[in-house]
Amino acid sequence: MRCFGRQCRGQGHVFVKLVRHTEQQLLELGQPITALGQQAQQLLGQATALSDSTRERLADAFNAAMSSHTHIRKQSTQLTQGKKLSHCKIVNAYDPTMAPILKGKSNCPAQFGRKPGLVSEPATGFIFANRVPEGNPCDASYVLPLLDKVQRAIERVRATPRLQVHSVAGDLGINDAALRQALHQRAILTVGIPKTIEPMQPHPSPEEVRDILNEAGLHRKRTPHQVHLACACGYSRPVVESHIASLLSRGAGQVRYKGPLGAMRQQGMTVMAHNGATLVRIRQQHMSKRAQKFRRLLGLRRRKIHEINNPKN
Amino acid sequence: MRLVHYLQHWLRGTGTRLQVADFVPDPHPLRQWADTFPWAALVAAVEHSFDTRFPTRSPRGRAPVPIRVLLALELLKHEVGTSDEDICHRLRTDFAVMYACGLREYQAPRSQVHFVLPETLCEFRGRIDEALMDELIAIQAAAAMEEGLVSPAHLVIDTFPCAQGSQRVTDATTLYKAQKKPSN
Repeated sequence: MRCFGRQCRGQGHVFVKLVRHTEQQLLELGQPITALGQQAQQLLGQATALSDSTRERLADAFNAAMSSHTHIRKQSTQLTQGKKLSHCKIVNAYDPTMAPILKGKSNCPAQFGRKPGLVSEPATGFIFANRVPEGNPCDASYVLPLLDKVQRAIERVRATPRLQVHSVAGDLGINDAALRQALHQRAILTVGIPKTIEPMQPHPSPEEVRDILNEAGLHRKRTPHQVHLACACGYSRPVVESHIASLLSRGAGQVRYKGPLGAMRQQGMTVMAHNGATLVRIRQQHMSKRAQKFRRLLGLRRRKIHEINNPKN
Repeated sequence: MRLVHYLQHWLRGTGTRLQVADFVPDPHPLRQWADTFPWAALVAAVEHSFDTRFPTRSPRGRAPVPIRVLLALELLKHEVGTSDEDICHRLRTDFAVMYACGLREYQAPRSQVHFVLPETLCEFRGRIDEALMDELIAIQAAAAMEEGLVSPAHLVIDTFPCAQGSQRVTDATTLYKAQKKPSN
């Protein structure tokens, strides 16, 4: 018997001998599946009563089922032999793209599911792009694909001068040296990505600002004002949890559609619905004092185009 | 026969026409929410994607349910947190939902249950691929940036876990249905 997890969170007990014994029985039971599968494939090829499209559809489904069985069998064999499983283990026989979610769960049993990523504006919570990858890749691998999506959205804007991404903030999960270098090459400040668990400095001194710009090699590309805003964003990064909470309130916490495509559709539609509600809040000026100040600093002031300046007359 | 029945309002309809906008006040949450979307650009992107991937083989047949209605229903479903069946039903009875779906005039026989069948909505959803979904979000973001409402200058990135919902019927559901059946 093995125990997992910290005692204060309730340990999970696993009867290893029982699991291995049951797994052995299941492996023996599934032994003839490969031979039966080959026979079924031959018979499907000989079935003249079926149309070509039906035969093709059945063959695709059959191949998918056989490949899943092979994968599961390999994993079960490793389990009975006491070998360590690889990172991307199967947790759902019908959907091999799902993986254990270990993020923030070091003390608890792992959840199984998906891990969508999002990139949002810290002041208002408008989500510029989202991503639902297959499996459970590291957080740092989300950043560049998400920024590419933001760039594609920026390219659609016909305003001049062209909008740019100045800085990116995140948690320790995206603290990666190669990623920092890639972001600096794109002229994006990484001061909002922490290197330690120490709290960030929200108001850096002029010397610190100069050091930040020199370290990133963006001395002539980014201004001290932009560095100050980037530091403020990094300091208030936890607001992203409220953006996530808004998505969760719209049902993003549980994927109801089937497969990775279904998850992508559900998350995408939820993000668009959330963005619609965010834009309503922005138009009605229903924002926190901090968000209003941040918008003023970014030059996103409300234009009172439908209001008369002097209503007394 | 059922298909003809539910689609007939797209063809002709009977009775006097009611102006939907007259029944939905300006500060109504769904009206304000619906007015934020760049519908023309979104519908054009969906139509372009569908025309490329699912070309119409024959010009014959009945006019389909507009993309604008289906897209709005799909978004509304996530905004109000309801099922396909419920949102399709609300389109028949709720003026705010009609407004959000771009229907400006209401004219339908009383016997008609649905404007849009839930199966149609499910089929529409099944045609949305990753590229199209990304394009729709980019169009929405670009419209907001162009209007000066948001700026991509400083961004925050994070991930969150979500569970894959189970499609299987639980014992509680079976019991509930069994108890409900005799009462009907």
